[in-house]
Amino acid sequence: MEAFFQTYGFLLVYMCLQALLGLSTYLPLMAGQLSLASSGFYAIGGYVAAILSTQVFHTSGAYPIGYLLLETLLAGLLSGVVAVVVGIPALRLRGIYLALATIAMVEILRVVSLNLSITGGAVGIFGIAQPFSSPLGYMWLVGPLLLLVMFFAYRLEGSRIGRAFIALREDELAADAMGINPTYHKVLAFALGAMLAGVVGAISAHFLNTWNARQGTFDVSIAVLAYVLIGGSRSFAGPVLGGMVLTALPEVLRPLKDLRFIVDGLLLMLAAIYLPQGLANPNWLARRKTAPVREKT
Amino acid sequence: MDLLLQSLVNGLSIGSVYAIFALGYTLVFSILGIINFAHGAVFTLGAYFTYFLIGGQNNGTGLLAGAQLPFGLPFPVAIILGGALAGLVSVGLERVAFRPLRARGADPLLALVSSLGAGLVIVNLVQYLIGAEILSYPTNVYGHWAEQHPSLNLGTASFPIQIRTVQVIIFGVSLVILLALLYLINRTKMGKAMQAVAENPTTASLLGVSTDRVILFTFLLSGLLAGISGTLVATSFSISGPYFGLAYGLKGLAVIVLGGLGDIGGAVLGGFVLGLAEALVPGEYTAYKDAVAFLLLFLILMLRPQGLLGRRLIQKV
Repeated sequence: MEAFFQTYGFLLVYMCLQALLGLSTYLPLMAGQLSLASSGFYAIGGYVAAILSTQVFHTSGAYPIGYLLLETLLAGLLSGVVAVVVGIPALRLRGIYLALATIAMVEILRVVSLNLSITGGAVGIFGIAQPFSSPLGYMWLVGPLLLLVMFFAYRLEGSRIGRAFIALREDELAADAMGINPTYHKVLAFALGAMLAGVVGAISAHFLNTWNARQGTFDVSIAVLAYVLIGGSRSFAGPVLGGMVLTALPEVLRPLKDLRFIVDGLLLMLAAIYLPQGLANPNWLARRKTAPVREKT
Repeated sequence: MDLLLQSLVNGLSIGSVYAIFALGYTLVFSILGIINFAHGAVFTLGAYFTYFLIGGQNNGTGLLAGAQLPFGLPFPVAIILGGALAGLVSVGLERVAFRPLRARGADPLLALVSSLGAGLVIVNLVQYLIGAEILSYPTNVYGHWAEQHPSLNLGTASFPIQIRTVQVIIFGVSLVILLALLYLINRTKMGKAMQAVAENPTTASLLGVSTDRVILFTFLLSGLLAGISGTLVATSFSISGPYFGLAYGLKGLAVIVLGGLGDIGGAVLGGFVLGLAEALVPGEYTAYKDAVAFLLLFLILMLRPQGLLGRRLIQKV
């Protein structure tokens, strides 16, 4: 058991972090907003933590947890503010147009971070202080966070705001006619996802010890979207399951060596074709007395 | 002043390549209403195909390290054949990644994921077989004369406008392809059938248009355009590895939205607008050049989401 955690501690924490990123894309999708911006906010959060811990807070020895929590708070807030500023004009767009606008945002952020001196340019920021002595230590932070966010998403699905999100996803015009304010709820869903992605970025910067422009790229956006769509986009369990399975997959496929990314791509393709509802089908999870979720036509 | 003109001509040259690449995207979008995210991978493949068809040796470290075809075709034949091979790959993609989803009437978002998966397979297959190293085309692909004259003076002796010969040739080739394509789409039976399917697939099939054949042809054409534009870019710079097409794939998205999604003329206009905009970025900001496409994309989505030439989007209740 000890040896297992020694070997796979890093992977386990990473799986949880990716599951959280999956949830950050799931939240806007709940309100029908296909956003590929998670990796952008993830990058912003990471830079906040990386810059603060290497240039503002000077510490020696183990990095204080309090500072780390403060960084995650600031990262979440900054991501949320950026999300509201970008979101209010961008969320007038629907479907593929919104996805394209968020791709544009991610790419602009990437090019800017590649060229600014405060973000370390192409090299990035490295030697980010470690609050824990081993990768598994992060589990004390990431594990409860994942459970908390899952509980939040679960409760959200049943709450007034969550039901407003779902109504918007199913039919924006009808929801509007029912008195749901589309702009307010769409921006809220977008900002919630952004804040979560920012927090995950801040923790990941410490966890990975280094942060650079490669962390927030189009590839990452797509990987995170795949977590949600393959895991299942109709319940919070989907992105968590998808994030964990798809993160572990390259490790599981390691015996295939160089072929593993090819198999990875093939699985992505096959899952899209043969598992359209995702791994976590809400019809299995539906509580009694609640009607099963209708398949969208 | 001469520098500005020089940038403008360069912008037109790269813009014409963006235009033919983006046309492949927009053709598929106009017919199926989906974006083929494997288009950038097909662009990469086209450049590799042509490289090997002219007899280039693989100096990568993949499984086929050092491999070389026993013959070398002349470049004009190779680029067409390379494009055709890329077109066949694109048809294969349609069969594997799009048709099963279409048959079931699945959410278009899933086509996005399956085409991304297909692109990932292609890129990594290239990396596995060829390797991640840079492959450069020989300097004499465009003939002896072009090799002897690496740059041309389009101005006068006292007012020089120096342009790389390669850029001029690429511009010419792209223009010919653009004109041929516009002829194909507007003047031939297949072109009319494509327009009919784009307008309304059900009505088109009732009128005797074989929708499946039109879709296959569209993918073939789209792959051909991607393959040829990939080769053209590679002759101007070089093949920077299996991820060569990724940046162009994303810029292509910006181009088609700029002109209006699914609009043929819009893709051409968008290509030139992006090419010129990138060329006009002042020297001290060249590092930000790659952001220009996305800045334009973001602005156009905010100000005019239907694109420069697109029809107004009507939301049906």
